[in-house]
Amino acid sequence: MTKKIFQSIMAVAGAVLIASLVIIVGCLYRYFSDVQGKQLEDELSLAVVAVEKDGRGYLEELQSREYRLTWVAENGEVLYDTQSHGEGMENHGDREEIQEALRNEEGKSARYSTTLLEKTLYCARRLKDGSVLRISVSSVTIWVLVLGMVQPILIVVVVTLILSGVLASHISRHITEPLNSLDLEKPLENNTYEELAPLLNRINKQHRQIDMQLSELQRKNDEFAQITQGMTEGLVLLNEKNIILNINPAALKLFHTSRSCKGKDFLTVERSLYVSRAIQDALSSGHSEIRMEREGKEYQLHINRIESKGSVIGAVVLAFDITEAAFAERNRREFTANVSHELKTPLQSIMGSAELMENGLVKPEDMTRFVGHIRTEAGRLVTLIDDIIRLSSLDERCDIPFEQVDLYEAASDVMAGLADIAAAKEIEMTLTGEKVSVKSVRRLLTEIIFNLCDNAIKYNKIGGRVEVAISRRENEAVIAVEDSGIGIPPEHQARIFERFYRVDKSRSKESGGTGLGLSIVKHAVQYLDGEIDLQSSPGQGTLIRVSIPEDKNFTDGC
Amino acid sequence: MRSRFDQQLATLNQELTRMGAMCEEAIAIASKALTTGEVKLTDKVLSLDGEINHMERTIETLCLKLLLQQQPVAKDLRQISAALKMITDMERIGTQAADIAEIIPFLGGRTGGECGQIRFMADAASRMVTESIDAFVKQDILLAGAAMERDDVVDDLFLQVKSSLMKLIAEKPTDGGYALDLLMIAKYFERIGDHAVNIAEWVAFSVTGEHKKTVDF
Repeated sequence: MTKKIFQSIMAVAGAVLIASLVIIVGCLYRYFSDVQGKQLEDELSLAVVAVEKDGRGYLEELQSREYRLTWVAENGEVLYDTQSHGEGMENHGDREEIQEALRNEEGKSARYSTTLLEKTLYCARRLKDGSVLRISVSSVTIWVLVLGMVQPILIVVVVTLILSGVLASHISRHITEPLNSLDLEKPLENNTYEELAPLLNRINKQHRQIDMQLSELQRKNDEFAQITQGMTEGLVLLNEKNIILNINPAALKLFHTSRSCKGKDFLTVERSLYVSRAIQDALSSGHSEIRMEREGKEYQLHINRIESKGSVIGAVVLAFDITEAAFAERNRREFTANVSHELKTPLQSIMGSAELMENGLVKPEDMTRFVGHIRTEAGRLVTLIDDIIRLSSLDERCDIPFEQVDLYEAASDVMAGLADIAAAKEIEMTLTGEKVSVKSVRRLLTEIIFNLCDNAIKYNKIGGRVEVAISRRENEAVIAVEDSGIGIPPEHQARIFERFYRVDKSRSKESGGTGLGLSIVKHAVQYLDGEIDLQSSPGQGTLIRVSIPEDKNFTDGC
Repeated sequence: MRSRFDQQLATLNQELTRMGAMCEEAIAIASKALTTGEVKLTDKVLSLDGEINHMERTIETLCLKLLLQQQPVAKDLRQISAALKMITDMERIGTQAADIAEIIPFLGGRTGGECGQIRFMADAASRMVTESIDAFVKQDILLAGAAMERDDVVDDLFLQVKSSLMKLIAEKPTDGGYALDLLMIAKYFERIGDHAVNIAEWVAFSVTGEHKKTVDF
């Protein structure tokens, strides 16, 4: 800006200077030419009068260096010339001024010398005798005049330029100074040219807008950070060049890396071909999904392409921990397989016997045995289905009436019912403890004690023992069932409460269980808000302790 | 000019990491094929080896282009020359994984269970490769050092494998061919370990400017 102002001032100064010089020189020249012309005419008038009076004598006597007088006869012949005295001069009849004078009494003309440096003015008048007297004077042309003035003009130009240069730079600096010292951070607090006011207002408005947008952006960013920080799923944002833009703590943990990985290639964090191929897939097709195992946990990676205005700008990687889901899925598959197997076994057996009877292959005396066989298998089936129904009713958590139950009594009832089976295996059953009354569901408690005792007898040695102890502890009632049976190996202990889970699968038939007993116990205890504690060592026996709150505040239901 | 160079260097690193990942996968699959006896896995190793060889050419071209066009100095030069050396070792790892894969079908479904150390060798060698690639990716000299130290473990294991195979042949001369195949596999694992050490050394060189082998002399 300073430069521009400086240049303009200089240009204006230069233009004014040149224009005034031209005009002054032009005017002066014209004025002098006019004066000269008039003088020439006056001189001629004088000379005409003199020549008419004295004739050639006047001309011969005339001593003039400035003017040149030529007397030309009517036919153009030079009668006399003050410079060459009239000898040897060519006919002047064709000269412009003379012809004009001959015609109109008076003639004028101007001729330039070949170098343009000299100009000769001619003025002619016809005398009374018909001859023509011409006067001429040489004067310098405008160019000579200008040439002669070059030195002073140059001095003036240089002085003017220097002066205007100094002034221009000073002025331009002065003009731009307020602009240079503008405080754009606080546009409205400037005291400067009023022409800038709209600009400053606009800047102020945009400032506010930017501030608002910035805080909005910040807020969104914080929101996003809050959401991603708290997520249990891993989240990674990548740009189209596979550079990590954002990564949340869960993903940092999953990929074993630190925050410093932001801005680096995702390859430096996870370089397995499997994952990078999945990302490539997602970038080209829009979505991909893979499963991946990390330190015993299973993760599912969803990779989605991010698009904006039709072009791919990156990808988002979401990692879910599906360890539990995968485990549950495996369990469900096993459960379905087990249920179908358990249901099918007795039915096959029934069908086999029935077919034999249908085809008359059974002798009448064996009939009773076969029918008995069908009955026991059907009974087994009924027990199994009963168990499944009970389990699912526990799953449904339907409202069951709560009442005061005496655990000791309930246990002795159950034991009385099992006495026959125990006797068959020569197992000694004992019940110890005190009367403990709890507000609970009688049917579930009986179920728990029955299944625990039933298992204690089934998986016991011949001549073993089963001890049931009822006791009270703080606000809980504790049922402990201990046996001297075969025990449960440690690797199975975590799974025995699963449906149909058997420690020794080959024994399932022999012991007659359905594989659902402990599962029912577990669900019943859960329903009553109790806890199960298992201690077992193979070959020595098992102790299962169930603790149940004395008075459960029953609030939930179906 | 420089930004273009930086971009090319980033590409070089990316490609090297990818090649490293391929090596890791090749050796991991080869080990899995050995321990599970799944012969069809070996095809995967062979095709990976082809990809690795191709990758070596690509990276080599890129390195030469960088050297010619950018005439790098100091750390950049070290990085590029180290890359040139590393790809040779990576290519060898890929080829040796493929060699192992080629032997596995001849084991006749046996998985080297008679000689447990060979599995430890597979594990250790594959961990060495992972560590050396990790060291490269993170430019971490400590990790490079860890990879170099693990080489002693692999060497020891190789000696153990050798003596246990000698015992196997003495006890059951009919298993001689099988034992020799296992010995070859063990030797390949041992070689893979050596290449992993080379990679780790070049990583250390590109970071510090000192190559371990030259310091030793």
